[in-house]
Amino acid sequence: MPKNIHEIRDPIHVFVRLDNHERKVLNSRPFQRLRHIHELALTYLVYPGATHKRFEHSLGVMELASRVFDVVTNPDHVTDEIRNSLHPLGNRDERQYWRRALRMAALCHDIGHLPFSHAAEKELLPPNWDHERLTQAIIACDEMKDIWNSVTPPLRHEDIMKLAVGTKKMKDSQFSDWEAILSEIIVGDAFGVDRIDYLLRDSHHIGVAYGKFDHYRLIDTLRILPTPSAGEDGAGGEPALGVEEGGLQSAEALMLARYFMYSQVYFHPIRRIYDIHLIDFFREWLDGSVFSTNLEEFLRLTDNEVTAALLDVASHQGKAGYLHARRIVHREHFKLVYERNPNDTKINPEAGESVFKTLQGQFGENKFRHDRYRQKGGAPDFPVRMRHGQIVSSLAVSETLNNVPVVSVDYVFAERSVFKEAKEWLSKNLQEVIKPKEEVDNG
Amino acid sequence: MDRLKRAAVLTRLMEKLREKGSWCGETHVQKASFFLQELMKVPLGFDFILYKHGPFSFDLRDELTGFRADNLIRLEPQYPYGPSILPTDLGKKIQEINSKTVGKYEDRIEFIADKLGPKHVSELERLATALYVTQLPNARASVDERSQQLTKLKPQIPLAVARTAVEEVDQIIGEAQGLIH
Repeated sequence: MPKNIHEIRDPIHVFVRLDNHERKVLNSRPFQRLRHIHELALTYLVYPGATHKRFEHSLGVMELASRVFDVVTNPDHVTDEIRNSLHPLGNRDERQYWRRALRMAALCHDIGHLPFSHAAEKELLPPNWDHERLTQAIIACDEMKDIWNSVTPPLRHEDIMKLAVGTKKMKDSQFSDWEAILSEIIVGDAFGVDRIDYLLRDSHHIGVAYGKFDHYRLIDTLRILPTPSAGEDGAGGEPALGVEEGGLQSAEALMLARYFMYSQVYFHPIRRIYDIHLIDFFREWLDGSVFSTNLEEFLRLTDNEVTAALLDVASHQGKAGYLHARRIVHREHFKLVYERNPNDTKINPEAGESVFKTLQGQFGENKFRHDRYRQKGGAPDFPVRMRHGQIVSSLAVSETLNNVPVVSVDYVFAERSVFKEAKEWLSKNLQEVIKPKEEVDNG
Repeated sequence: MDRLKRAAVLTRLMEKLREKGSWCGETHVQKASFFLQELMKVPLGFDFILYKHGPFSFDLRDELTGFRADNLIRLEPQYPYGPSILPTDLGKKIQEINSKTVGKYEDRIEFIADKLGPKHVSELERLATALYVTQLPNARASVDERSQQLTKLKPQIPLAVARTAVEEVDQIIGEAQGLIH
């Protein structure tokens, strides 16, 4: 008898199971391409274990998405108020449709990633393009549409697009509350399974424990709850993903895991400067300095082709991108000459920018790189149902969540030839450099 | 408007909202910023979409998180609701450094705080959504048409309540004209 359910071994979730339609997605050209896109770009140059790919992460996200879906739509976990506001919860066929759409969206949520993942996205795509837009274009392409249409009932590609990229990246589309909740399951700020999977998976491969937390307990206690903030004047709040009180500690552990992974791994300064060198390389190596958004051309380019090019270009002076390829391949990366610290930010929150511009003026424009990143998304504010039934804001009941630091990076890197001199000069002149300038009235 | 000038304007808005009795959570800041940018033409540069709770800007949300990272604002828990947002001493210092920018928009900030400060979250959601439908391409639509559009976008809002919100927005728009021009 032919198999209808297929199992894939996975180091994080043990088994990931797929049905025949999901396996068609797995076997599609856009999805197979993810076998050749590193999850963490060039992080393997710092953490050698970080060689895992978007392929297995996407499978993990699909597995977790349906686990969350099954918990939050379990009739025993849904109040009448929520059932009345989210109609698919009360209709078995609709629920089944959306479960399937959610799994497909989870599987495809990264399908539009550029080579080396996030490393160079903003700078290297034409205006108004990002990987989410590419993801939407691939979900809507003929090859994928054939798969959506082969399902009974057929899946609407617009639904898969919405759930895969979420409200933030589809600003022109109206999301119903139900669609917004489902997209939160995948890409949500607080409990998105994309993040849950990458924290666990990256941690596992890199060999650090920071990203691990009790995701079994967390998922088991997730619920769709009304937000307490909107109930200020007695009105019922709109639905959002929240937790039972018993899951609060595992939610805290998730937020701490995120903080530690960002500060220890994702924003490791050497990892960041390799990303910058890679962007510099792409700018010179790519035709017109941007990636093609033509799907055929896009699908042909993976980390493999780029790695081969880096190795080739690094040994051929005169080829486009030579200097930057050399910095990566021969580990001649720029060195950290300044990073933000609480004393400096008290004087000037944009201290790094001042340092960067001053050092450029002093030692040469191309000798420095500036890397500024602030955590995105909101505060970890989600509804919590207390044991006595009241629904409250997580920040009203968790000291831990109120004190999870916000990740912020402000690095300045120097080319090795000027590093020592620049560092010495800066140590003598830092206070003057970061002093806030008088306001220029241009805003 | 650069980031620190924007921080100065937004922290001033938070102070003014609180002076007018606002609990000043994220929703209050979101809706007041929507009015400040879209009605009062303060060039904050945020991109607002219609989300679960009415007009909402993910850019603004990211910006507020960035302000927390730089210790320009802080959160103060308000049981059982979401937290209030308050400027820190550094946030106030940024206002002083950018006093020309704050001064330029002070009367518009004051106006919005005056109108929205005393409102609850659900009132703010209704009013902001009413402004949103008023600014759609069919901007000359009648009160009835806009009220119906509002209930279509937010089915939980009864038509009579939507109508009140649209009328109130029209009144606010009328009063704001002297400050904008």
